[in-house]
Amino acid sequence: MSGLLASEFRRFRSRRLVKVLVALEVLVIVATGVIVFLTQEYALVGLPDVLMGTSLVLVSVGWILGASAIGADWHAGHVTTILSWEPRRGRVLIAKIAAALTSVFVVSLVIQALLAIALAVAAAGAGSTTGADAAWLAESAGVALRVAALSTIFAGFGFGLASAGRNTAVALGVGFGYLVIVENLVRGLRPQWTPGLLTDNAGLFVVDSPIDFPLLGRSTIGAGLYLAALGAALLLAATALFRTRDVH
Amino acid sequence: MDTVIEVEGLRKAYRRVRGSRTVAVDGLDLAVPRGGVFGFLGPNGAGKTTTIRCLLGLVRPTGGRCRLLGEEPAGVHKVIGRVGSIVESPAMYPRFSATRNLELLGRISRIGRTRVREVLDQVGLAERADDQVKTYSLGMKQRLGIAGALLKDPEVLILDEPANGLDPAGIVEVRELMRRLGNEGRTVFVSSHILTEVQQTADRVAILAKGRQVATGPVHEVLTAGHATGLLVRLDDVPEGLRILGEAGIDARADDGFIRVGLPPADAARVTRTLADRGLYLTELRADEADLETVFLELTGGASTEGAR
Repeated sequence: MSGLLASEFRRFRSRRLVKVLVALEVLVIVATGVIVFLTQEYALVGLPDVLMGTSLVLVSVGWILGASAIGADWHAGHVTTILSWEPRRGRVLIAKIAAALTSVFVVSLVIQALLAIALAVAAAGAGSTTGADAAWLAESAGVALRVAALSTIFAGFGFGLASAGRNTAVALGVGFGYLVIVENLVRGLRPQWTPGLLTDNAGLFVVDSPIDFPLLGRSTIGAGLYLAALGAALLLAATALFRTRDVH
Repeated sequence: MDTVIEVEGLRKAYRRVRGSRTVAVDGLDLAVPRGGVFGFLGPNGAGKTTTIRCLLGLVRPTGGRCRLLGEEPAGVHKVIGRVGSIVESPAMYPRFSATRNLELLGRISRIGRTRVREVLDQVGLAERADDQVKTYSLGMKQRLGIAGALLKDPEVLILDEPANGLDPAGIVEVRELMRRLGNEGRTVFVSSHILTEVQQTADRVAILAKGRQVATGPVHEVLTAGHATGLLVRLDDVPEGLRILGEAGIDARADDGFIRVGLPPADAARVTRTLADRGLYLTELRADEADLETVFLELTGGASTEGAR
């Protein structure tokens, strides 16, 4: 199993899509740091809000990376090749899930850390670091961890859908359609179903302010656990399908 | 007989969108003995690839049984380390080098770089080992797939159309490689539709048509089964030759510039002596044996069922 895991981690980090998306994110961070440094007096105490603002991008990137981690392998026929080396399908999929989700979590944390460093440098040079105390550090770390966790959960959604649909595009299309169309319709037509919506629970989990999400009726941790349970259920279903369906 | 592949009444049917079923393999029986090269022949859609997928546990049979090194598909993980395979076109990462692709596979079974270099050298890709696979020709990709199959130093090699896309020189290389591997005591199970290659390489063959086996056995036996063997004689004066052979009580008839003689190849000396005694000398003498292509077309009806695979 460790050989399979090592292979999957290397496969994941070697992929061009991963490199391109991470490079783009780093580029945006560097540009943000430079722009902030040159144009305004940045107050570092506002870092948690900035990190919350990255959640949409990081969750989207997580979804894409999770989906393509298995979708691209289906598309190119690599699943057949891998199964001719390790026919225990459960192990193969678990290794792929572990590699994809762990990598997305680490990438999300590193990207936020780089952004924090860039803004800290900008604030130290031409802004203010007032209020950047231990409580601020704990709050910032908490936000960063929650955003990374949310990206990982959404990577799980992407992976599960792409595995079931055997295609990256299926996961992206279904995800976009569900989040943009279905959830908005439900929110408008059936507001009593709001506690089940992904976007509202994700918002609560990142913002950590239950008072702003009165319809959910649950805590920040509760929202995180709800999303994690949905992701786990989807991945379990995908694994069950992967174990039983023919591979062509 | 010590068999490495056993298939009994194997059946695989695929459900179509509208509920109808396509039968890819229909009660196939097959036994592949240990060692040597075994040719698995059939037209497109005969069920060759589906059978291989069943053996490797990639698709679930609808009925019957199949065993690879004694293991049914559910337990194939116990023996997969002794089996190298290519199923249809080998899938590799186009932007990775050959070395990197094989290292990724090798890592699953803790196979190191030394072995990767060995197999790349074995298939003639050592000089291009660090180039991206997307720059390879179809034949080079095929050879890389074979290198991947050899990586585990397997005792059983399952190769699905390994000569696809290869140029004549590449086909000869693959043929020699398969022969060498077979002579080393490994079992090479090769599905192909390039019949001349199989005829020159395989020790035994099985021929499939519409998901069923229609012939199996040593190549020579399959070629002679159901075919009268004789001799083909070429000489300058065919009518005179026919007359002389007829006088000697030898069954002979003219056929497209040859004389077809109804004696087994072992009696060739009798024919040459009879003709030479009367001053007629042969320009050519050979066994009148059907080639694999002829047998194949007769047994399969020459029909492809492409799409049912």
